[in-house]
Amino acid sequence: MAEKKGVGHAYNVDFLNVVFAASSVFLLLSTVWMVWDDYDRDWKNTQRRFNQLELQVTQAQLQQAGRAVDRGKLQQLEAQQKAAEKNIAANKQKVDELQAKVKDADTKVYRATLDVNYAKATYDQDRYDFEATRASGGSGVDKKQALAQSEERQLAGLNLAYEKALADKADVQKQLSQYTGEAVAAAKQIEEMNAEQSRLRKRLDVIAPSALKDYFRNAPLLDFMAPTIRIQQIILPNVMDDVNFIRVPKMDRCQTCHLAIDQKGYEKYPQPYTTHPDLATYLGGSSLHPIDRVGCTVCHEGMGQSVSFRDAAHMPSTEKQQEEWEKKYHWEQPHLWDYPMLPVKMTEASCAKCHRQQVYLPKADTLGMAYATFERAGCYACHKTKGFDTNIRKPGPILTKIDSKLSPEWVKNWIRNPRAVKPTTWMPRFFYNSNNSSPEDAVRNEAEINAIASYLFANADKHEFAVKNPPHGDAKRGEEIVKSIGCQGCHVVGEGKREEIGPRRTFGQPLENIGNKTTYEWIYNWVRDPKHYSPATYMPNLRLTDAQVADVATYLSGLKGGAGDGAKATPDAKASDDVLLDYLKNVMPFEDAKAQLAKLSPPARQVELGRRAISRYGCFSCHDIKGFETAQPIGTDLSEEGSKLVTRLDFAFINDIPHTSKLGWFRRKLHDPRVFDRGRVLQPLDKLRMPNFDFTDAEVDRLVVAIMSLQREIQPPAALPVRSARYDYQVAGRTLVHRRNCVGCHIIEGDGGDFVKLVAEPSLGPPMLTPEGARVQPDWLYAFLRGPITIRPWLSVRMPTFGLDDPNLNGVIRYFGSVSNTIGPFQTHEVVKASNTADAGGKALFELLKCQQCHVLGAIPKDQPTSNLAPDLRMSAERLNPEWIIEWLKRPSDILPGTRMPAFWPDYPKSFYTQMGGSAEAQIKAIRDHLLTFRGGPSPKAPATAKAANNN
Amino acid sequence: MGFLKGLANSIADPRLFFLLAVGALLLAVWKRETVASNGVGYGLLGFLGLFFLFGTFDANFRLIVTKPDNVPIVGLIFLLLFFVWYSIREGVLNDRRIAAGNGPIEKAESDRVWVWPDLVYTELISLILCSVVLIVWSIFLKAPLEQPANPANTPNPSKAPWYFLGLQEMLVYFDPWLAGVVLPSLIIVGLICIPYIDKNPKGNGYYTFVERKAEITIFLFGFAVLWASLIVLGTFLRGPNWNFFGPFEFWDIHKLAALTNVDLSEYIWVRGLRTGLPQQWYIREIFGILLVLFYVFALPVILAKGLFKTYYEKLGAPRYYVATFLFLMMMSLPMKMLARWIFNLKYIVHISEFFFNI
Repeated sequence: MAEKKGVGHAYNVDFLNVVFAASSVFLLLSTVWMVWDDYDRDWKNTQRRFNQLELQVTQAQLQQAGRAVDRGKLQQLEAQQKAAEKNIAANKQKVDELQAKVKDADTKVYRATLDVNYAKATYDQDRYDFEATRASGGSGVDKKQALAQSEERQLAGLNLAYEKALADKADVQKQLSQYTGEAVAAAKQIEEMNAEQSRLRKRLDVIAPSALKDYFRNAPLLDFMAPTIRIQQIILPNVMDDVNFIRVPKMDRCQTCHLAIDQKGYEKYPQPYTTHPDLATYLGGSSLHPIDRVGCTVCHEGMGQSVSFRDAAHMPSTEKQQEEWEKKYHWEQPHLWDYPMLPVKMTEASCAKCHRQQVYLPKADTLGMAYATFERAGCYACHKTKGFDTNIRKPGPILTKIDSKLSPEWVKNWIRNPRAVKPTTWMPRFFYNSNNSSPEDAVRNEAEINAIASYLFANADKHEFAVKNPPHGDAKRGEEIVKSIGCQGCHVVGEGKREEIGPRRTFGQPLENIGNKTTYEWIYNWVRDPKHYSPATYMPNLRLTDAQVADVATYLSGLKGGAGDGAKATPDAKASDDVLLDYLKNVMPFEDAKAQLAKLSPPARQVELGRRAISRYGCFSCHDIKGFETAQPIGTDLSEEGSKLVTRLDFAFINDIPHTSKLGWFRRKLHDPRVFDRGRVLQPLDKLRMPNFDFTDAEVDRLVVAIMSLQREIQPPAALPVRSARYDYQVAGRTLVHRRNCVGCHIIEGDGGDFVKLVAEPSLGPPMLTPEGARVQPDWLYAFLRGPITIRPWLSVRMPTFGLDDPNLNGVIRYFGSVSNTIGPFQTHEVVKASNTADAGGKALFELLKCQQCHVLGAIPKDQPTSNLAPDLRMSAERLNPEWIIEWLKRPSDILPGTRMPAFWPDYPKSFYTQMGGSAEAQIKAIRDHLLTFRGGPSPKAPATAKAANNN
Repeated sequence: MGFLKGLANSIADPRLFFLLAVGALLLAVWKRETVASNGVGYGLLGFLGLFFLFGTFDANFRLIVTKPDNVPIVGLIFLLLFFVWYSIREGVLNDRRIAAGNGPIEKAESDRVWVWPDLVYTELISLILCSVVLIVWSIFLKAPLEQPANPANTPNPSKAPWYFLGLQEMLVYFDPWLAGVVLPSLIIVGLICIPYIDKNPKGNGYYTFVERKAEITIFLFGFAVLWASLIVLGTFLRGPNWNFFGPFEFWDIHKLAALTNVDLSEYIWVRGLRTGLPQQWYIREIFGILLVLFYVFALPVILAKGLFKTYYEKLGAPRYYVATFLFLMMMSLPMKMLARWIFNLKYIVHISEFFFNI
């Protein structure tokens, strides 16, 4: 116990005084500390540093603006101004007098304005009083009416006086400007020339350091009044945050630190001060996504309200960056915000939030590649996904006629490990994965593989080949055809890794090892007419002659490789029965299952087990299989997978990824779809069954982007793109040209054209189709798509016949029309009629410019390298839009960058040529009109021509 | 290390944890002369400090102990232990003085009242120091705000505020109407009743143990064991799905606990009499109902004639019955806990027809 001191004191009071003093000091210090802790925020320092940077940048801009001014003109103006001022000085007395008068007139106008305003206010009040009294039948109506009327008259009088005062003033000013007008005009022009400089100077005044700003306005406790360092936020009434109970307008405070994100001039500075890399598309005032309407977090995700690095839920792009952030910002995996920021390279996943119904978007290359991979891997087949549920093929070939195509042995080896047979295939591996590779599993795996093959062959329809015992051809010629005609737009012949080749050139089955897979007869018939075997196939007809078909088939059937992985166990009948029993007892009592099994004959047991296995693994999702026409896909619905909360994902015993990371889970799952079974004790039928696609890191990244783009729809209609017929055509058409893999060969809207890269010279590859809608006439395009004709005979690649139905054909035509904004089949042709009158001039020019040197006109020009050759001009009248010819002649390389077509009028509207008074416009028109007089070129519309080309 | 952690994990199992808490209390009361020594007191605190120091090297332990919500509970453990020990020590010291005929130390200078500056000044200083502590604390440990509430995604485990965790622990053993309504009400009513039940004139205004043996023991049992230690258990040892996790164990959401609890009626009808459960609830639950009626109404009478005879005589009938009723209600929790642990007993009375379960 404490020492007692004297009577009446349990404690030493002097000592208590010291303790009291000390604790009071502590309290003061801790209070100061608290205020400082509250005041001291990282974002404030960020803004202070930016302030210095902005000062530098603005000073540099000011200097630059000074240099940019036209010195000569400025001096001239200054001289003008000086001369005018001399003139004023000469008439000083008169000018002074007039200036005094102006001042006087100003005063009068001001006084008259006040008189009018007061009289108007009084009149309004009394008029209302009169109106209200009359309406309610109160007393004194007449008196009030009289008052209002007299006030109205008075007001009219005052208005007249006001107008007079204005007129007087204008009069005096006019007199004055006789002397001063020139000087004022010159001063105004000088000011306009220096406008940028004065703007920057004003800005410099604002941001220059000052004691008042730095030490007073931003001081702790005083910074509630008018601080210069403050949180910058934008509130977005049209873009929502879903906080579960309610959707609230987004409030993005990102600009508190990313201060120059929407300003030019900061491109070279590091984050957070840098300018957005694509200001023309995002954030810029005139871009499609202005910052005050779209904000930041709707695309980047993260917590917009937060102004701390960690709480904003920043997400590093690389592991190196993560380490850096951990050191610098104490970064940790975000777990207090359900939607942390997307790593920068994945941001395009957010496009789909507002552009939901579009699927394919121009300029969103990452997202396009993600969706192409998602579609090619066939994710949507097992996982129902909104946007990928209609107008989309089954990713695998039909198995309903498997008997005539494959052998059971090959099928088994294929199912066992498809990539051992064809390394570039997208067919995944169902067996011998991380959760069914043990020796005990091998017996079961093999039993199921055998049974699946049994089922498929027992349920195959008979198929009659169109050509039985087809003739053989020359493999070498066949190889040339395959490698030149365009097969490689969709097929690879063992050319490297699937990841590098990409989803578009693996759109069709890989051709490697095809000789082992099927018979010569099948290949021959397939190449000759794919739709005969598989009516719904996307494989087009290449219109080969029978001899060419034989060459191709001979070449393909000679492509042989390994047989794949052999069986790892040989299950006997009992083992196989056990597996079937296991399936049966899962759906019925054990005794019933045994009875059911006993009822079946041994071959029927195999087929039954096959049926159960197919049903379990969902083979029917990708392939047409008899007996599964109405079966439902087996996977989780992915329509809102990107919004799924991380707590809904089962990490099981996988502890080497943070359990707060959704992206980590998806990556892990895609790398090894059954990894979350690791360490668990599971019955065979309880195991995970998603097959392994052997995705590489890059493929996984693409798919994660696709998954993260599949978000719950929470944005209101006001946030979405405005719909119109043109917009809808574009959306539908883009999807069509991607799903039919037109983009495998053609570049359309900046996307695709993988095949062009295989050709030595771009002009020898399939043409770029972005301007196609403006270029060709809709009815010509319709006829061409139905029965393509040869436009450039010197090319070896050719447009195949896709056999689209009318709705799809119209979809394509409308799409091209909407891209170039020339929608509709009806177009102006009147200009054609005018052709006769000026034709002589047109012809002369046509010859002067030597159009025929490269363009075909009946005969193919000799002496030209093939890359210089151009289409037959006799097609112009039927094929091309007259308006387009003019645009094309004006600026060919703007329309098709890299074209061989020379620009004859680089200085349009000036012209090198003297014809037609040197008017480029008239010259171009004359040439166009001349072109339209040609007739007799190849035409897709002529049935005879189409037949001749389509010799099947 | 691994062994020590395993040992700590198994000691922390609710059954052992509870029984050890009871045992420790009884030991502290029984061996209070030894416990009262400074060596034991500081030794205990030191041991606890060492344990936490040792624990902070373990990631799982660190995670759960340093959660801003839980830090005060760490303080609570030390403060609770210290003050229980301190009160016992002061009591023991006074008891020695009383036995020697000196009277308690608090009465030594009973001719004056120590108000100014001894009370008021020290209170002021305490107030200031507490403010300092709270301010500094709030600077170091930010308010633990989490993501926006989501009805579709409730936190797992969903924990009550720390001061209600003892009640939440009771929910493991009783239905909400009992654990959440009846028993908490009885706690409040019981606390209000204490001054009216208590007729013992001794031990008033000074520390003592001998003069209030039963009262202090019962209070410490109710407060330190049933209330505070269950708060500690609920804070640190209950994880996802309200499963038990040792202090060094990873809070794995997949951890499973077998739910094999059995009703009393099933014990009697199905296991004992080997017949099915009767259709009528009043027949089915008759044994449980009788048992409860016996516990509430008959047991106090029987105790009055037997074990609690002296109290009955001392307090008189009304005081005795109220006190015994409250005592039995308090004891119903540990009894149900024991019944659960030993017999897997789920409900004594289980009338699912009325959602009435005891």
